[in-house]
Amino acid sequence: MLKNYLKVAFRNLWKKKGFSFINITGLSIGMASAVLILLWIYSEISFDQFHEKSERIYQMYNRSVFDGKLWCWGTTPKPMGAALRKDYPQVENAARVTQGTFLTSVGEKHLNSSGYLTDPDFLKIFSFPLLKGDAARALGKAGSIVITEKLAQKLFGEADAFGKVIRIDSIAQFTVTGIMKDLPANTRFDFEFLLPWSYMKTIGWDDNYWGNNSVQTYVLLKPGVTEAMANNRFRNITKSHSDTKDIEVFVHPITKWRLYSKFENGQIVGGRIGVVRLFGIIAGFILLIACINFMNLSTARSEKRAKEVGIRKVVGAQKGLLVSQFLGESILISLLAGMVAMIIVQLSLSGFNELTDKHLSIPYGSVLFWLASLVFVMLTGIIAGSYPAFYLSAYKPVSVLKGTFKAAHALVTPRKILVVMQFTFAIGLIICTIIVNQQIRYAQARETGYKKDNLVYTFIQGDVEKHYTAISNELLNSGAVTSITKTSAPITQKWSDSWGYSWKGKDPNAKLDFCIYNVDGNFAKTTGLRILRGRDIDVKTYPTDSNAMLLNEAAVKIMGFKDPIGQTVTNGDDGKWHVVGVIPDFILSSPYEPVSPMIVQGPKAWFNVIHLRLNSARATSDNLAKTEAIFKKYNPDYPPAFKFVDDEYGHKFAEEKRIGTLSGLFAGLTIVISCLGLFALATYMAENRIKEIGVRKVLGASVSSITTLLSTDFLKLVCISFVVAVPLAWWGMHTWLQSYTYRVPISIWVFAVTGVISVFIAVATISYQAIKAAIANPVKSLRTE
Amino acid sequence: MINITNLQKFYRTEEVETIALNNLSFGIKEGEFVAIMGPSGCGKSTLLNILGLLDDPDDGSYLFNGIEVAKFNERKRSDLRKHNIGFVFQSFNLIDELTVFENVELPLIYTKVGAAERKRRVEEVLDKMQIMHRRNHFPQQLSGGQQQRVAVARAVVNNPKLILADEPTGNLDSSNGNDVMQLLTDLNEQGTTIIMVTHSEHDARYTHRIIRMLDGQAVTENILV
Repeated sequence: MLKNYLKVAFRNLWKKKGFSFINITGLSIGMASAVLILLWIYSEISFDQFHEKSERIYQMYNRSVFDGKLWCWGTTPKPMGAALRKDYPQVENAARVTQGTFLTSVGEKHLNSSGYLTDPDFLKIFSFPLLKGDAARALGKAGSIVITEKLAQKLFGEADAFGKVIRIDSIAQFTVTGIMKDLPANTRFDFEFLLPWSYMKTIGWDDNYWGNNSVQTYVLLKPGVTEAMANNRFRNITKSHSDTKDIEVFVHPITKWRLYSKFENGQIVGGRIGVVRLFGIIAGFILLIACINFMNLSTARSEKRAKEVGIRKVVGAQKGLLVSQFLGESILISLLAGMVAMIIVQLSLSGFNELTDKHLSIPYGSVLFWLASLVFVMLTGIIAGSYPAFYLSAYKPVSVLKGTFKAAHALVTPRKILVVMQFTFAIGLIICTIIVNQQIRYAQARETGYKKDNLVYTFIQGDVEKHYTAISNELLNSGAVTSITKTSAPITQKWSDSWGYSWKGKDPNAKLDFCIYNVDGNFAKTTGLRILRGRDIDVKTYPTDSNAMLLNEAAVKIMGFKDPIGQTVTNGDDGKWHVVGVIPDFILSSPYEPVSPMIVQGPKAWFNVIHLRLNSARATSDNLAKTEAIFKKYNPDYPPAFKFVDDEYGHKFAEEKRIGTLSGLFAGLTIVISCLGLFALATYMAENRIKEIGVRKVLGASVSSITTLLSTDFLKLVCISFVVAVPLAWWGMHTWLQSYTYRVPISIWVFAVTGVISVFIAVATISYQAIKAAIANPVKSLRTE
Repeated sequence: MINITNLQKFYRTEEVETIALNNLSFGIKEGEFVAIMGPSGCGKSTLLNILGLLDDPDDGSYLFNGIEVAKFNERKRSDLRKHNIGFVFQSFNLIDELTVFENVELPLIYTKVGAAERKRRVEEVLDKMQIMHRRNHFPQQLSGGQQQRVAVARAVVNNPKLILADEPTGNLDSSNGNDVMQLLTDLNEQGTTIIMVTHSEHDARYTHRIIRMLDGQAVTENILV
């Protein structure tokens, strides 16, 4: 029986090549899209789930009230790790982690590499297997370093790196005590080496201050210790070690790091899980739309297959057998489409990876993957084939075999509803794509407050600090650079904040958080910021400016200063600062959010970065070449690395651009699949109405009137889809935009344009078949009938 | 073999109720060859569909081999049909995607006959119908007469007790029509009961008895043998 079914199925596919092509193409595009998205979703949900002890791994978190709101954050004081290990028996292992970029050198080979300074427990908590070395002891000694396979290859080539010496920043020597398998793509951790925490002391980064939340602390709880027990036990750890009385500590499980990292009022309210769910829904819809094509084309062809159903029933087939036959056919088509989809996925994976900034691959070697694929194909076949199977198998053989059978042409048919579903989704996605792109352009157009062009920065490394004055003078004299300033962080990134500031008139109970940024002078000139009141910090002209500070407008407002210039602001041990100027609320972090109150501290503070304004009158390449040469001269071991501020600022839009591009891509695919279906439906419609068209033409109907007649039915469906899609898309985008303080208003023309595009696409799809049917010779069509 | 009593069938639309069979009663013995005749719309085909268990009556009794089948559900009707009844249609009704061999084989598949036995029986019946040489052709590649031979082959391959033929020569020229009628006569002589709906007096002369219908009722019966 199966053989008989397969024969009929293959012969049907072969006989109706156009139908088969459209069906398999549509289904394979849908399946390929769904597979790509499912690979992406799998990569997201598998993030850091490979650690063997993942059910016991947690990150330490704090929560406290600022500005009347409960905030949560994942950086902790440096002494917390040691305290957890020492005083809390619930903790099996604890490791602190902070990131650093250092010059790693072997012989004359110098590389800037990024790694972690951490406690030896790091390798006991997390499952990053060592290819060489003992994980339990690899970071136990002060002079040890664990490097990844990739870094070993970069520094030592094919030679065995184990036991060899690496110089860090040309001052310290470390022996390779472990070579680690390269990190998988689905981990939050990103490092090329691990250095023992003791190096923090060597470079002066360590402190024992419970008020400085600057490192991540991870714990492995002992078996049997629950999250609730840990929270209960650790809640007061910071309070008990410091004067701070309002910071509570809690643990955040590894299973929630990736997808549930957004806190509001002290509670997890989501995070990337929202995007994962959205993509899941999109994958489901694209697949459903492809399945709908199958359903529509199968039921549209029902009259062609009705005879077969009738005969089979007459000779003894029962409904169940026919249902299984048609389901089998759809599973067969789904299988063929699945194979094509696999080729599409393989061919498009690199592009999709680039688009999503991922390293996805098809796990050909995994049995689970093949099993999942089989289930996926079967499920697609069943979804696509179930409705046609029940529809076709329900035919009464009497009417079919007597030739009196005609498929229903009701006002509302399931086929019409399915077409409306397809186009509702397609139109909805077009609207979303337009609005997401509008939002990106809106944020990009927002005034940053400084001039991004010709502004570059580099990190202070090696001997740069020692030779800063000479470097600065030489750069200015070279004509390549017009202004230079040292800062605590790149102007595109918020690195530090603090709530420890006081000033005259401050409410003693208020706990206000400020973004902290440090500059040594020439800040306004270098960055192009305007000084709104007072002046820039200038320690050469005003020696007391080492303790000077600038405030942005938001800080002035929140501090309540009517005349901020000359005001004194104190900050615990850091002493007194005096305000010399007010700057605008320039964008340091998110271009979608309001600018936070900011304090810009003068030369007495700490610095990590040098910003340079390149001479706009000269070629950028010449400016860069000269600048690099000067840095190389004074800091020969370190390869100079400059970043353009406008590029870095552009990265702030990466996530939204990604969503916009993906939304556009999915909208395009949905339209292609839907139009394939519409085209095929129009073909069948033209075939089925051939007699009607002939009669109308004989009676004097024009080509245009017949074309209009044939197109109207489909256009009505597209119009209904538009009416359904508009409120849904508006609601979806309205909700999405709520997460941005600076957001574009949703304007009516978006819907108008989408409506015109949709009708145009539908007309273009249908018109070929409609015109073809309309210009056919009526004599021929009537004779055919 | 067949006994129908007061059989009624109505077709209803929103506005009109049409009586297709009106208290129809008659019996057919095993081995008979009966023609049902009458003008278009008199209920011949409706009767044939009910006798073939493709349709159910609204009222009345239908005894098939002594079993009341009028109220059988779809599954029981299908079971009874596939083991006992063969059909021959005016428009042949072969599946276009299957070859001659596969079309004839179809009823055997649904009665779960093994592959080797199926092959033997299909070849035997094709041979008997003299279309063995066309076994791998598709229906579109055959003449009308050949298609009807295939249809008859399919109807008899399961050795049914009853063959229902609905105007089996309606789409054939006289020569092919005669051939088909001869085939049916031969089958009848071998013991198969045949009920044939026809407009053709010529074809009716091959049968033992003619039941003439009008407005859903049997009006006369002519016994020919």
